[in-house]
Amino acid sequence: MERYDVAVIGGGMVGTAIGYGCAERGARVIVLDEGDVALRAARGNFGLVWGQSKGDGMPAYGAWTRLSITLWPSLAERVSGFAGRDVCYSPVGGLTFCLSEQELAERRDFVHRRHNQGHGTVRIVDRRELLEMMPGCRLGPEVVGASYDPTDGHVDPLTLLRGLHAGLRAAGGVHLPGAPVVAIEPVGGEYRIARADGAAVMARRIVVAAGVATTRIAAMVGLDVPVRPVRGQNIVTERLAPILPKPASAIRQTGDGTIQIGVTSEDDGILETPTTTAALAKMAARAIRVLPPLASARMVRGWAALRPMTPDGFPAYAESATHPGCFVAVCHSGVTLAAVHAGPMAEAVMGGGMHALAAELHPDRFARMPIQHVPAI
Amino acid sequence: MSTDVDLLIVGAGPAGMAAAVTARSRGLTVLLLDENAGPGGQVHRGIEHRAAKDEQDADGAKLAAALRSSAVETRFRATLWAVEPGGKVFWSEEGAARSAVAGRILLCTGATERPLPIPGWTLPGVMTVGAAQIALKTAGLKPQGDVWIAGQGPLLWLYAKQAVEAGGRLAGIVDLSHGIPPAALRHLPRALMAPGYLLKGLAWQRRVKRAGVRVIHAEEIRAEGEGRLARIVVDGTEHAADLLLLHDGVVPNTQITRAIPGCAHDWDAVQACWKPRLDAWGNTTAEGVMVAGDGGGIGGARAAAHAGRLAALEAARALGRMTEDQRNAEAGTERLALNRQLAARPFLDALFPPRPVTAIPDETIICRCEEVTAGKVREAVTLGCLGSNQTKAFTRTGMGPCQGRVCGPVVHAVIAAARGVDPAQVDPFRTRFPTKPLTLGELAALAE
Repeated sequence: MERYDVAVIGGGMVGTAIGYGCAERGARVIVLDEGDVALRAARGNFGLVWGQSKGDGMPAYGAWTRLSITLWPSLAERVSGFAGRDVCYSPVGGLTFCLSEQELAERRDFVHRRHNQGHGTVRIVDRRELLEMMPGCRLGPEVVGASYDPTDGHVDPLTLLRGLHAGLRAAGGVHLPGAPVVAIEPVGGEYRIARADGAAVMARRIVVAAGVATTRIAAMVGLDVPVRPVRGQNIVTERLAPILPKPASAIRQTGDGTIQIGVTSEDDGILETPTTTAALAKMAARAIRVLPPLASARMVRGWAALRPMTPDGFPAYAESATHPGCFVAVCHSGVTLAAVHAGPMAEAVMGGGMHALAAELHPDRFARMPIQHVPAI
Repeated sequence: MSTDVDLLIVGAGPAGMAAAVTARSRGLTVLLLDENAGPGGQVHRGIEHRAAKDEQDADGAKLAAALRSSAVETRFRATLWAVEPGGKVFWSEEGAARSAVAGRILLCTGATERPLPIPGWTLPGVMTVGAAQIALKTAGLKPQGDVWIAGQGPLLWLYAKQAVEAGGRLAGIVDLSHGIPPAALRHLPRALMAPGYLLKGLAWQRRVKRAGVRVIHAEEIRAEGEGRLARIVVDGTEHAADLLLLHDGVVPNTQITRAIPGCAHDWDAVQACWKPRLDAWGNTTAEGVMVAGDGGGIGGARAAAHAGRLAALEAARALGRMTEDQRNAEAGTERLALNRQLAARPFLDALFPPRPVTAIPDETIICRCEEVTAGKVREAVTLGCLGSNQTKAFTRTGMGPCQGRVCGPVVHAVIAAARGVDPAQVDPFRTRFPTKPLTLGELAALAE
């Protein structure tokens, strides 16, 4: 049986980033992955590298996010090289548009809270400043202002995923897709990981980064991590001439000119990923209120994916107390956090100790929270 | 949920026209949507505006006339883009999105051409035989100059015959088929039950050759030119070319069925395509959704009409307008006729297996919308992509405006060949609604 230093369970954005980071640090890594039609949040990312809205009520998450953003330029450089294509990381500042005075007032309160929790870069801008910031941008008349954070930006998430996979491979890592993991058992200080297709590998360390399947697999290594699926839908238009210079929450123009519009948050526990006309229509209507010229843009694609959501919505990281060397990493911000996953988190897996911020995001906290419905998958 | 119409049919080709007329005659209210300006589908395109030249045209004219004299509500230039649970459908018409709730949905969306990606096929001056046939049928555009046809399959010879008879000029046909493979011969006895089919095919070939059209049997073809097609290179020999028409058979158009949750599809190893899993009446595995005609497996125009009528009878039964016994009694002759039409199919399918994708060079583009080469797709397989969907995420193939409609079969085949596995083990593109582009303005108008 093949033996590895680290086996990562999950070949999505989180698992591949950690696996790549470990491989780059000299570990012999295997990333175990499901097949082509798995429930992959990694194929449904919006592509923001984003701090302004992250960590309200959990300052450690805000700080962990900011750490990742500072590490992003270097990650972007490396990943673009591996992908053979520019990952289009563009930290040009990000916006959350407000379409009424009430929305703006609520956003202002939010920004105050963020300041109080140590996130000082975000601020409110009014319509006049928005137009100065983006001259010629044909914002809709209802746009009264926005929150703005100059450290935010966006990236091409699919090139990122491909680049992380290519980086893993370049560093000698192995990717084994095709079947879910069904059992993990300790064998003489190592772990034997068995898959549904009969394949099995041995590893000294394990990272469970299995997205919406995290609960089931983390339980195999003595970790209780409730995760439920929350569906998000996306719209992509045809390529357009530059029309929106800065990315915004739920609307951005990608490096190749398409407009991407998000995003729903459907918390119905259903493990399916169809698009629904009602949701797409609502998203399109709001996007047109922000940027009226979009009314004539053709939508060429829609998709939906399931985000892994913890009870409080914040990430969870831990090393198992009962299964030393076994870690869990789950979050719904795999793009923003890719840089900390490939960096400090990979170091923790290699035995360097959990980063202080990640340590504050231990899933133990969920035991103290009201019980939530978590579907068994 | 109350319904607006008993049966909603998508596609006014032979299956859709026949189904609509039959369903209406059994008392169902029927709404028929089609993207074209009038009835006919691809095979009988523009049939109301041209004289019937052969049996096939006569079939089409008869179906269209029956449709026009029925009380079926028809909407042309209407593009369906979503089917949701509960029989809700959405389409665009005159720049506006519309919707209706139907008791049953019958998809008669026909076939699409299997792409034949050869080096240089993206040059202006290279198009498909199907597109040329539409131009011939609707605009009377006859081939002139150095026009070459390359590939294989019955449609190639039918078009060549039609073009020659219309007074068009063809420089030659590059036949990429491989004669009669031994596998085809065991289907020959059954095929002889439908001799009309085989004789027709042979007659088309004779007619074309008699007109002096040169036929070259070849293994390899390349299109070349600076900015547009100037020549083709056939097994190393150059020929001047103004227009090159490619064809490698047709596959079911499953763009809509693949987007419907719970609608199972199976790999058809003989026709080398995915098709929706249907019962003998055309029911898919998704409640209330049916398929008839080539969209459920290639059978040709006449088979499609019979399948359409069978589906209409089943819809009438499902909606309580006839008993099971009545349905079965009326279905008898249709089913016999359908089986006779399908008799030649296994032979034809075995005769024209698709070109092996291993012949596609790495540098050749297979996704035209996003300009993704075969080599990029093969590279994605080495990065761990097992199927079309992860490959799409890694390479952008299938992400353009055609939504994988054109490149889908080739991407799938290239992945299977690169992995060295049975194509049945490679997932096709998952499609999602809207399956056709529409403007955000149209979509937003549906917001509550």
